[in-house]
This record gives sequence, C-alpha cells and structure tokens, in this order.
Amino acid sequence: MKRILAVAGPVLGLALGLAACGNPAPPAATPEAPVAPAEEAPAPAGAAGTINVYSARHYDSDKAMYAAFEAETGIRVNVRESGAPELLETMRAEGERSPADVIIASDAGALYRFQDAGFTQGVTSDKLSAVIPETLREKDGNWFGLAKRARIIVYDPQVVSADEVDTYADLADARLKGEVCVRSSTNIYNLSLMGEIIGRSGAEAAAAWAEGVVANMARDPQGGDTAQIDAVAAGECAVALVNHYYWVRLAAGSPEDRLKTNRTQLSFPDQEGNGTHVNVTAAAVAAHSKSPELAIQFIEYLATPHGQELLTAETKEFPVVSGAAVPAGLEQIPGFKESDFPLSELGTHQPEAQAIFDRAGWN
Amino acid sequence: MPALVAGIVIAVPVVMVLLAGLFDGAGDAWTHIRETLLLRYLGGTLSVLALTGALCLLFAVPSAWLVTMFRFPGRAVFEWLLILPLAAPGYVLAYAWADLAGVGGPVQSALREATGWSARDYWFPDINSLPGLAFVLACTLYPYVYLTARSAFVSQSVCALEAARSLGAGPGRSFWSVALPAARPAIAAGLALALMEAAADYGAAEFLGVPTLTFGIVRAWKSFGEPAAAARLAFVLIGLIAVLIVTERWGRGRAGSQQSSIRWRHVSRTQLTGLSAIGASVSCLVLFLAAFGLPVGRLVWRSVETGPGAAPIWDALGNSIILAGSGAVFAFILALMIVLAARAKGPAAFFARASAISGYSIPGAVLALGALAIIGLLPLTLSGGVALIALAWVYAARFTAAGTEPMAAALARAPASLSHAARSLGASPSRQAFEVDLPIALSGAAVAALILFVEALKELPATLMLRPFNWDTLSVRAYAYASDERLAAAALPSLLITLAGLVPVILLSWQLSRSRPGETQ
Repeated sequence: MKRILAVAGPVLGLALGLAACGNPAPPAATPEAPVAPAEEAPAPAGAAGTINVYSARHYDSDKAMYAAFEAETGIRVNVRESGAPELLETMRAEGERSPADVIIASDAGALYRFQDAGFTQGVTSDKLSAVIPETLREKDGNWFGLAKRARIIVYDPQVVSADEVDTYADLADARLKGEVCVRSSTNIYNLSLMGEIIGRSGAEAAAAWAEGVVANMARDPQGGDTAQIDAVAAGECAVALVNHYYWVRLAAGSPEDRLKTNRTQLSFPDQEGNGTHVNVTAAAVAAHSKSPELAIQFIEYLATPHGQELLTAETKEFPVVSGAAVPAGLEQIPGFKESDFPLSELGTHQPEAQAIFDRAGWN
Repeated sequence: MPALVAGIVIAVPVVMVLLAGLFDGAGDAWTHIRETLLLRYLGGTLSVLALTGALCLLFAVPSAWLVTMFRFPGRAVFEWLLILPLAAPGYVLAYAWADLAGVGGPVQSALREATGWSARDYWFPDINSLPGLAFVLACTLYPYVYLTARSAFVSQSVCALEAARSLGAGPGRSFWSVALPAARPAIAAGLALALMEAAADYGAAEFLGVPTLTFGIVRAWKSFGEPAAAARLAFVLIGLIAVLIVTERWGRGRAGSQQSSIRWRHVSRTQLTGLSAIGASVSCLVLFLAAFGLPVGRLVWRSVETGPGAAPIWDALGNSIILAGSGAVFAFILALMIVLAARAKGPAAFFARASAISGYSIPGAVLALGALAIIGLLPLTLSGGVALIALAWVYAARFTAAGTEPMAAALARAPASLSHAARSLGASPSRQAFEVDLPIALSGAAVAALILFVEALKELPATLMLRPFNWDTLSVRAYAYASDERLAAAALPSLLITLAGLVPVILLSWQLSRSRPGETQ
C-alpha cells in the first residue's frame, strides 16, 4: 500500500502542477507520457521552417503528400487531423495564440465556418488565382478549392430508367415512392446539397423537396454513401444519393465490390438545368498564422500537378487544376456540367438546411 | 478534503460546459431542437437504455452464475472468454455487425445468391435500428455486469449458500433467494456503469443512425454550430442519469447485505450432465460468438483481405497505450480518493461521487469542449504537454466513475463490523481509511484499473479533439477509416484496440479466479 502511495502521490502532484502552471514542461517530464518521436521536435538543421496544418481529412496518402512537400522544400509539416467542427472549436479556444498555419477541410460549407469565425485570412497569390477556377475559390482569397467532388444519383437500371433520375427533383417525385435510399441529414454532403437548393429555390421549395424525398424513402436514413450503393445493388431500393468517388472506389475494389458497381448506373443530375452539385476540398491560411508565406507556399504546392496528383490519388476526387493527372479509376466517369452555385454561400444556409431536414423528418 | 479536490478536478470541465449552457444564448437552434427533436431524442435514449439494460442483465447474470457455480464442458474457457467483449468499443462492434448483417454483407448476399430473391423479398433483422443499437451496446457493455456479478458470486460466502441448500432450497431457489439478493448491489453497480456508457455512446448511435440525446448533443454542436444548445441537451442527459441512479439507490434502500460468516470453504461446483450441460455450453458459446467471435472474426477476415494500410499503425498503438495509461492512472487516483472519503459520508464525498457520475454520463466530445473552454481562459495553446494533460484530465473526468463504482461495491460487501472494530480500537479516520478500507477497496481495484484503462483506450471524440500534433491513436485511425467508409482499412486498428484491451482483460480474469477465498484451482 505504501508503495502505491509512493508512486501515486508524485504522479498526481506532477499532473496537477503541470495543469496549473501556465508554461508547460516538455511532455517528457511526465513519467506516464514520454515524448512522441515526431512531437514538435526542433526543425532539422538547415530546415526552412515549420508549418502546422489543421486538417479535416484522414487519408494515408495525405501523409505522403506532407512528406513530399517536406522533401521538396525542407519545410517541416506538423499535422492535427480531426473533424472540421472539432478543429473549429480548438481554434476558438486557442484564439490569437493558435499555432495553426493552414486549415484543410473537405467541404466549402465547413471552410465558410472558419472564415465566418474570423480564423482565415484573405490571401493574394497569383499562382493560385491563375490555376484555380474562380467558382472554386473564395473571392477574397479566404480559401482555395483544391479537389472537387460531385453529388450524384446511383440507380438500378432494371427498375428505373435514366430519364427518371436525371434531376435532384426526381428524388421527390411520387413515381419513386419506396425506392429512395439516403444517408442521415446530419451528413455535411446532404447539408451542402440542401444549402444549394435553398440558395437557388428558397426555403419553401427546399422543404417541399425534403418532404418529397422522405415520403419516397425505402428505409430510414442509415449508413454512409457506400451503404447506399450496397442497398441499390441488393435491390433494397432503386436510387440513392452519393458522392461520385465512393462508387469509383468500389469499382476499383474487390470482386464483390465490382459486382455492386456492375449492377448500378450513375446519373449526373440537372445536366439540362443548373448542373450537378459539386463541392471541394479546400485550404485556407489561418488568421493568426506565424508563417503565412510558408502556408501559402504549401497551398501553392497542392495546386501544382504533382500536388494535385498526391491530393486526389487515394480520394478519387477530381483535380481542379487543368492538366493535372486524373486519378486511376476516374477515366470511366464522363465529363459533366457542374453547377456554378457560389460555394462560399453553402455555409450560410447550413443551420437552415438542418432545420428543414429535421422538420421533414429526415433523420 | 481529498474528496473535495477530486470532485473539483472532475467537475471543472463538466461545470464549464453546463455554465455555457446556462449563460450563453443558445439561439434559434435551441428553440428548434426543443420544439422538433427533444422528445425524439429523449424517447430514443430511454428506449435504448431500457432495452440495453434488459439485454445486459439477460446476457450477464445467468452466464456469471453458470460459470461460477457449475461444471460443464468449456466452463473454464468461457469464464474468461465472456469478458473479452469489454475490449471491443461499441463503434467497432457496430461497424463489424453492420458489415456482417447489412444488406450488402456476406450473410444477406449469400441468402440472395442461394434463393434468387431481391432484398425486398424477405425480412431480415435490421442492425440499423434502435433494437440493433441496443443489441450492439449490450454486446460490448454486458461484461460490466458479468464482472461485477461474477465477483459478487465468487466472493460471497459459500456457507450462506450451503445453509440455504441444507434448509432444502434447490439450486434455483438458492439463486433467486440467496445469491441474487446478495449480489444485487454489485449487479446494480455494473448495470449503472453499462447504462451510463450506453447513454453517452455516440459512435455506435451515429453509425447506426439512431437519434439519441448524445447524438443530438453532437449534432446541435456540429450542424447548428451551437455549443450552448449542446450543453443544454447535456443538462437533460445528466438529469436523466441522475434519475436513474437515484432510482437504483432508492430501490436498494438500506437493505444491503453483510457477510457475517468468516468461514470460507472450497467451492464444489455442481457438475451438470446431459441436456443441462449442453445447454450451458451452448448458451455461453452463442453469447460469446454474438458479442465477440463473429464481429471480431469478420474484422480479422477484412484486414487479412486488405493487408496492412500505409499508415504507421504501431506508432498509433504506442500512442494509444501511453494516453490510455496516463488517463487511467489519473482517474484511478481520483477514484481511490473518492471511495475512501465516501466512508466518511460527508457532503464533500457526496459531491465528489456525484461529479464523477455526471462526468461519466457526458459524451467525451462535450467534456473536450469544457477542456477547450478552460484552455481558452488561460494563456495556453493546445499543443505538446498541454494537450496531453488536457486529454488525461478529460479521461479522468469521464471515467473516474468507472473506477469508483467497482471499488465502492467491494467496500460495500465488506462487513461493517470491521470498521466498527477499527474505530472502537481507537483508530483515527485516516488510519482507518489507510489500514482497513484501502486494502478492501483495492480488492475491487483490479476491476477498476482495468475498466479505466480499456475505457480510455476506446475513447474517441475527446481524443480526436485534444490529442497533440502528429499523435494518432488507434481509435482515431479506426474512426478516420470508418468515417470515410473504408471499413476494411478500419479493421486493423479496430482489432488492435481490441487486442490491446485484451491483455488487461485476461490479467483481470486471472486475478479474479485467484481471488476467490478457498479457491485452489
């Protein structure tokens, strides 16, 4: 017992002491928390500096991307990966002391929140303006779209024909009663699509659409986009709303996965109208960055053909820079007309989008 | 005094969140949530709790009784196999079961393959449903009840049971009239833990799409960007848990039981034969397969199929163990302080235990918000040591109750005459605490320490928010892959969490079977 107290006392004392003192000792000082190998080690000799990236992406290939940038420039990259709302709260708590230099999120609506909270800064970069289309970046340079995705309809050609599912409005049409599979409305992809519908047609029409879709649901919203494709392939429903790359990844997957994509077809909605809803993975320079030049250098790197390749190789998003190599598997996706709805507006409609979904009973 | 300190340490992040709920305007989001969703969330949580609780009891109590009191084929193996699900997080079981039993999964695919049906031509239990969620949660949480029930059955005096038998009670009657009432406080403590965990679950509920209060808390914050509305929902959740606990205490009343016999005898387990032996083996096997064997087997299959990912998974394993270890040490010390002080029955002790319990019922994401609020008040950034300490602190605030409850249960089973004797022999309260109560509490401490470590290892949302730069843990990796719908890639980190949790679980089981007085095997 005395032994336990002999160990416990100092540990607790140290923990409390560290928590109380404003200037934290290095982590190695806590007996239970030895320093991690990569944790904020001093930059290697001759290094050109360090940037801290707050990223809402979770791809293994991103690690290769950071490593490639380090190798090319000598700039060290520290990364904190988390969900976008979590990163936002972290930055809120850190305020002006935030170590973040670059923010990466996979949704324009998410970037809007960072911008709205004052955590991004307007950046002018001739390189970025030259290669990234204007519709895919914020007008004052608060963020830059680097990779693109389309929200499309997957359908079972044995049950419905292509012209029955060539608009988003079709999903709410009574013809598709009991045929629609969707994921939860909490998901950012659905919120952003709804943001565009509200922005284009107003809240009332958007609510009517949501109610129509709910009335057509084959089952309660559940699972992710891949689960929706599964359901269509298995015949549980005839149509589902998904991002293009989930289908592309299945098409490149195991024989069972390929069987699922063989049973389904893709529709890029609204080709005759406003074009298919797209969204971006985008990067911003943090408002309180200590090294904004390095941060810009990093984002510019992601907009080079090599950076684009690294950014999209695993995700199967579309590169935004013309001339950049298209990731394997995307060649089977046809060219399509994209919506030109300003992406920076998606975020402003997000709370309203959630409220409309909730009232419609779209869980 | 130590209880007061422990209570405050735990309460600070909780209080920060609740203050935010009280004083920040929660805006339109709160009005919308109150009018549209609150009842749905409340109903969802209550139904999940009721169903999970019933399933936990059904899974845990009979199996604990079987392996403790009877001999049947495989008994010695099942005794510890049945604890294993504790090592698998709820969200991992949810991924695995959804993959296994989902419409695109191997079972239903094979069924359609064999019959030529479409998914609409037959009925199949839907894992993406409220009963599905309750099943998944019960699978991972029943070991709390199993552990506490088994340690209660193990440590109760054989003499009481023999007395019952000699008075003519059959095995059934001995169970219902003697063993079960004596074990009830321990079972209730285990069940309370399981239900608090179930109430705070986010990962599984979100993945399976069941609207619960916790789901609503995270959604209020993420979709509406209103942490204050989230905090108000947290209030509702804490209120619900408080009702649950008060009901449990009130139901137990002052009835507790005291072991009066000091004679411990070697237990002679009753040998089961014929159908009853087969029945016992099969029911243990089915429980093990449902809660662990099948879902974990599916993950193994998936990760063999995919091969290792590109990310350095061993670093994540090391980070997980370091973080979970420091969180568990912190929480264990707090739990010890609280439990020992609770013998004094002062308001400080009550406060400390209440704050531990309320921390336990709050989702990690919300506590992490509290920790961020504290960091925001101090001249700190969330990096390096600060992040580690903040995270260990949140683990402690969240999981201390998981340590206090088993230790308190161990103390509650000790004869009151022991402390009376100590006091009458002139021992000071502190001497009594250290020389009488502490050794008794420590007998429940193995369970406590294990649960603390495994819980911290499995914790997801707070780890996601507060970990230092470049510190991926296994739960973070598993979540990252699963949230990106790459279940096959998520399989390996999920398995490693389970594996890392298995080591202490097996140690615990070994310790438990040794701890039985009179046990020689």
